[in-house]
Amino acid sequence: MSNETQGAGIGSADADMKRGPLGRWVDSAIKNPDKVYRAMFYVAMLFFLVTTLFPFYWLLVLALTPNNLIANMGLVPKGFNPEVFIAMFDRVPFHLYMFNSFVLGITTTVLVLLIASLAGYVFGRLRFPGKGVLMLGILAISYFPPAAFLIPLFELFTGNTAISIGMVTISTPDLFNTPAPMVFPFSALFLPLSIFILTTFYGQIPDGLEDAARVEGTTRLGALFRVIVPLSAPGVATAGVLTFISVYNEFFFSFLMNNGEADSWAPIVAGILKYQGQFDTPYNLMAAASIVGVLPVAILVIIAQERIVSGLTAGALKE
Amino acid sequence: MGDVTLEHVSKHYDDVTAVDDMNLDIEDGEFICLVGPSGCGKSTTMEMIAGLTIPSEGKVFIGDREVTNLPPKDRGVAMVFQNIALFPHMDVYDNISFGLRLRNYDKEEIERRVERAAEIVQLQGMLERMPDEMSGGQRQRVAIARAIVRNPDVFLMDEPLANLDAKLRVHMRTELQRLHKELDTTIIYVTHDQAEAMTMSDRIAVIDSGQLQQIDPPLVCYNEPANLFVAGFIGSPSMNFLDGEVTEDGFVSTNIDVEFDPANLGIEAGTDVTMGIRPEDVYLVGDEALVSNPSHRIEAVTDVLEPMGDEIFVYLKLSESAETDLEDTSGVANDQLLMSVAPDTDIEEDEDVTVVLDRSRVHLFDTATGEAISHGIETPVQTSGAPGTEAESDD
Repeated sequence: MSNETQGAGIGSADADMKRGPLGRWVDSAIKNPDKVYRAMFYVAMLFFLVTTLFPFYWLLVLALTPNNLIANMGLVPKGFNPEVFIAMFDRVPFHLYMFNSFVLGITTTVLVLLIASLAGYVFGRLRFPGKGVLMLGILAISYFPPAAFLIPLFELFTGNTAISIGMVTISTPDLFNTPAPMVFPFSALFLPLSIFILTTFYGQIPDGLEDAARVEGTTRLGALFRVIVPLSAPGVATAGVLTFISVYNEFFFSFLMNNGEADSWAPIVAGILKYQGQFDTPYNLMAAASIVGVLPVAILVIIAQERIVSGLTAGALKE
Repeated sequence: MGDVTLEHVSKHYDDVTAVDDMNLDIEDGEFICLVGPSGCGKSTTMEMIAGLTIPSEGKVFIGDREVTNLPPKDRGVAMVFQNIALFPHMDVYDNISFGLRLRNYDKEEIERRVERAAEIVQLQGMLERMPDEMSGGQRQRVAIARAIVRNPDVFLMDEPLANLDAKLRVHMRTELQRLHKELDTTIIYVTHDQAEAMTMSDRIAVIDSGQLQQIDPPLVCYNEPANLFVAGFIGSPSMNFLDGEVTEDGFVSTNIDVEFDPANLGIEAGTDVTMGIRPEDVYLVGDEALVSNPSHRIEAVTDVLEPMGDEIFVYLKLSESAETDLEDTSGVANDQLLMSVAPDTDIEEDEDVTVVLDRSRVHLFDTATGEAISHGIETPVQTSGAPGTEAESDD
């Protein structure tokens, strides 16, 4: 009642004033705060959509414009050349680079999930002295800049490090141009996040279920993989997807631990750079390759996003 | 095959001793209940038999094998858990057959055994369901089927009925007894509910503070408790306790005296003793005919009445200042007495009554050690034939 009279009061008092459309909108927004929240939501949405989707649009514009016309680009393609998506595979065996990226991503993910599962079991389900310190150590290591490891790791993986034991000198194997010098650093770098996610999940599985599995005939390890991991599927999926995407997007080690050839396990990054020739820079091909390279991850995220969100927030609530 | 022996088993955590020098001898086919209050170490004892906890000291034997350090899967035990612990991601069939599949039984054998187990616990036709589609009682039956399907030597049940509602609990209780009769396997059953222990078990092991207090058939624990703890724990409502002293004439306390010759019981005069008497062994004068060996008369005033349907619990005040503490019926209270009378008894609150105790059912415990001294007191020679005269002369 009182609201109504008050509203009518404002309306009648302001009725004499001449107002533009903005003034009228402000007036109605004051009476209807929800309208403001909605407007703010749209503004924020628009901002994020533009910053995330504009690069894709721009890549598409570049890809569709024939290379000789790429100069002073506006917001629309200066031509329509969809054949670029076929031409990009002719010039560089881009599918091989994508294959390499997938192999690196999947190998790392499997390795990370395996080790993080064991670590997550220990941190999440067992009580032992020094647990807090160890956990803190893992957290600390996860913040080290990867660049700090690069030179020592490069020396190690290219066979330039040797250990002398008495008369025998053992030199490290030369792993340059193999998946190993990428998979190992990736695994180490992305392990802490997975350990944290899985620790939370495994810690929430009731002790009774593990005890039941052990009495029924599994070892502790058997109980982990037969009962705890399946019941933590959202967590395992989250850790797996995040690891895969991180590896797929990784630039640093991917670029430096091989010679950039498809048969040397070089991933997508190297593939895109490979288009650049001595005499030309085919921006349209590089843009097309970028789009094709991003597609698998975009699809993966769209499929898995619900799982990832529930996985990342599940640990926040204790049942 | 299924006998279980614990030899001097102890379990220490950082600064807590959960189980202290436990010796248990459980025979094949026996139904044993481990009872005790929360945190007394009964679950830890069971976990050590199951292998989920490794004892700090002592040895565990199942059959004639020492299993102290064997993992649970190699012990030939099956367990039913308090929280049921069905695997939520498997259907009933997979839950029941989990252990068999791990042991690589062939498919037909697994099917045959699961069918049989489902039949025993009456779960036919539900094998495809997921655990979250079932009621509490059905889940509990799945857990039991999962345990029996492997033909274990020993069943361990850790408060399996604690999470069920009262009606279902009574029903499952009879089902478990039927199951025990049918399978004839050793069952070790942990509970804090002494009614469960009394009704189901061949023997009860009463545990307190990690120590075994008494292991005997239920009625022996009830009628001849080994110490104050067992006397107070077994029976509901709990036994009345009165603190007093032994004199040349017998037991003397603030409000109640019972005459006997201490020499006959081998107690020295001057010893501090606690007398125990169960509510059903206190009789109203008038019902004296029921008691072959009554004590002298005791004057009291009724306080609170608790009609239970089949009997009435009457709180008696032995002195003016007495206050009935309904919360604490287990402790020693020298000025009150709990009595149980027939439901048709004509009795009201704040009524003066005279009661007698059944002397043959009076328990005496050493107050200092808690150990039982005597269960039942003989009629002393000099006052025989004239119960009640003493009490009257007291007034």
